[in-house]
Parts: sequence; C-alpha cells; structure tokens
Amino acid sequence: MDFKNILISVDSSDNAMRAVDYAGTILANSQGVRVTLLYIERAPNRDRYEDEAAWLNQCRLDHERVFDFLKSARGRLVAAGIPDSAVFERTVLCSAEPSIAQTILDVQQEGGFGTLVVGRRGLTKGEEFLFGSVSNKLVHNAKNCAVWVVQ
Amino acid sequence: MPETVRALVERFKPPVSVRNYGTVFTDTTEFMNIGYGDVIALGGKHYLVMGDESERRFGMEDPKFWVKRCIELECGLYRILKLQFMESFDQHIGPLTITCHRSATKEARILRLVAGDPRFMQGQGIKDSAGNIVRVLERVAGRRLDLNIEDIHSSHQEYFFDVYPDILRRFMAACRAIHHLHQHGETHGDIRRDHLYVDHKTGDYCWIDFDYGYDSVENPFGLDLFGLGNILSFITGKGVHAIQDVDTDALGLAEADCALFFRHRVVNLRKLFPYIPEDLNRVLMHYSAESEVFYETVPELLADLEPCLDNLRRT
Repeated sequence: MDFKNILISVDSSDNAMRAVDYAGTILANSQGVRVTLLYIERAPNRDRYEDEAAWLNQCRLDHERVFDFLKSARGRLVAAGIPDSAVFERTVLCSAEPSIAQTILDVQQEGGFGTLVVGRRGLTKGEEFLFGSVSNKLVHNAKNCAVWVVQ
Repeated sequence: MPETVRALVERFKPPVSVRNYGTVFTDTTEFMNIGYGDVIALGGKHYLVMGDESERRFGMEDPKFWVKRCIELECGLYRILKLQFMESFDQHIGPLTITCHRSATKEARILRLVAGDPRFMQGQGIKDSAGNIVRVLERVAGRRLDLNIEDIHSSHQEYFFDVYPDILRRFMAACRAIHHLHQHGETHGDIRRDHLYVDHKTGDYCWIDFDYGYDSVENPFGLDLFGLGNILSFITGKGVHAIQDVDTDALGLAEADCALFFRHRVVNLRKLFPYIPEDLNRVLMHYSAESEVFYETVPELLADLEPCLDNLRRT
C-alpha cells in the first residue's frame, strides 16, 4: 500500500469537513501525495416519502448537497497547498448491505490506498449500539493502511 | 347505504345493535370520519366498522383512529383494518431521541414477504379508491407473551427451571423470524414485548405490527437487536426488576448492572437469581450499561443463546 495515496471518506457533515481540513494541514507540504475524496451515497429511505416525486426531490437535494460539499472540500485542500491535479473525487452507491464502513474498506483495498482519513461524530455508547459507528468499524477492520480518525 | 350492503350487515351484524346504517367508504383518506356502523368497501369485500383500536399500556387507553376493528361481511370474520397514516415522530429510548416514521408501504411489503408464515401476523395491503394502502389483518389467535408470563404465579426458581427453557426455545425461534426479515433487507422496527403473541393452539410466538421505520444507519438492525434484548431480559427475569425495588447494598448492585438505556432496570439478573447460569447472564450483560460490545445481528445473539438453551435442557 502507498501511504501517500490517501482516501478521505466524507459525508456532507461538519465532522467530515474537519477531517478534510486536518488532512489538508498535515499534507500541505508533502510531495507526491494523491488525495481522493470518497462519498458513499445511500438513497433516502423510500418508505418515509408519500410518493415517488417527494422521494426523487429528496434524492436531488442530497445530490446537490454532496456536490457542493465535494466542491468546497476540494477548494480547501487546494487552498492548503495540495495541487488541484492531485485531488480526485469518487462517489459510490451503497445499499443497506454491505455497510458504509465495508464499502469504504472495499474502495480502500481496491484502490491501494495506504492512508484512510475519516471524521468522527463522537457517538455515545447508546447511539453506537443503536446506530453503529462507521469510524469504529474502520479502526477495527482496516487492513494494510493507517487510519486517521479526526474528532 | 345500498340495499346489497345493508343485507350483508343484517347477515353478519354483531350481537349488539348497529345504531344506524352508516356510510359506505371507498376512500379512507379521512379516517377520522369513519366510525361505528360505517362500511369500508375494499378489494371487492365489505368491512363493517365496530370501532377504533386502541393501545392499552399501563392501564391507559390510547385510541388509534386509523386502526379499525371490523367484521368482513362476506364471511363474518373479525378483521383489523389499518388505514394509511403517514407520520414522522420522535421516539425516546432512555436519553436518546430517534426520529421514526410510520409506513403503510413497509408493512404491506412485509405482509407479502411473510404470507403463510405463522411467525408473523397475516394479512394483505389493498389500495382503496384514492390509492391509500389499507392493511387488512387477520386476528392473531393468541395472547400477548408478557401477559402470559405475568400470569405465571410460581416462584422465579420454579419458573426458571420448569417453564423458562421452553419459553427461551420459542423466543429463539421468534429471533430467527426477525433474522428472516433482516435477510430480506427489512426490519421489524418496533420490537416490544407486547408485540409478541403466543398462539393459542401451538404455543408458538407471532410478531405483530411492523409499520415503523427509521432512516438508514450503519447498524441497520441495531434497534431490532435492542428490542430482542429487552424481551430476553423480561422473559429471563419473569418481569422487569427495577433497581429501587431490590436491596442494592445486599445484592451488590450498581449502575453497571442495569440496562444501557434504562438505568433503573436490572439486567445483571444473576445477582438477583444466582442459579441463572453465567453464560446466559453474559448474554444479558451485552445490554448493560457496562457493555463495550453489542450484538449487531440476530445470528450473533443466537450463537450465544444456543449453548445456554442446551445447558438449561441438561439441568
């Protein structure tokens, strides 16, 4: 694995942006780094919406939010000193199975990423039981790479 | 009311008088306006409304205006009609607040999945003239598991050795039923001890009410596993044991012995009933405030419970 081949897994949250900023600061003067911003897309739960139109509208809003986030994240990395040509974006669709964490790890393995960066929400124990923690699963299950968890 | 429907009502009307011949509804959107004596016409059948269903907990009745107790006039059988009522609301689990939604689509989908499976309530989703999905449900011929257990008047020790192994065996079969949903990408969504019924004839357990849903999360089955743990604790303890009801000093009970979400509820039941085997108690402790490892899937829970059941059968 190439530790300068860096995968930053993001959603559109403040935690994810903190991870982007941290990576940008640390990597600012590093030579030969490649940074990939990975967004795992999960469609909103169809059962929540009265009809197809309402669901599609939510899908569109989610797309726009992620598009804006990735654009902003790229801008911050470039502003930190990483060449624009060294920043890549990738979106992967994920259903309930496998989990988001597993999908991230699949991308990490397949792309030979030696460093994985992720934000952390700071869940309570109870929240972790009921909802699960992506960062926790990554720390436990990642192989052949360093994992940076940014709080 | 048309003469044909009036004749059906006359044939199958209940032993009490129908105060008047109400309206025949084909559109159930305004479910608050549908009441006693009205008829819902749906999928070629007619359902005489006897009243609204209500949730009975802690001696209180909470009416559910979108759930109608009915008689299917073509056959005279009792039916429950759940009319479409979409809502999102906050559910509180201990200190946590979870936004959940009620979905007729989800329940109708699961009813299709579990058709003919006695581990689940039976019925089907039918669209009314306005496109609302109405779930026409058969009556579960049984009684709530928790009420059955509360009616067992033997000591806990007698219960645990004589009755509990069979209850645990049937509960594990009910867990496998939930796993069946999970394997198909579904969740029950509202696993509570009053949503598990005991079939009068077979004694097997049957799940009801699966219209709750939640947004996707990293552990999609976490809430179901949480519900199963609560029921396991209830059946093992032959009820709920609140920390304020026991001598905490004498028993050496602390907050770590209580449930993660309900800090007054003892889950370290071995401290109350020392004959509960260590391996079974260890399963319960996965739901305690001190646990660092949680069950994420039903097979994980069952893998720990199966040897417990084997051991109990040998004693």
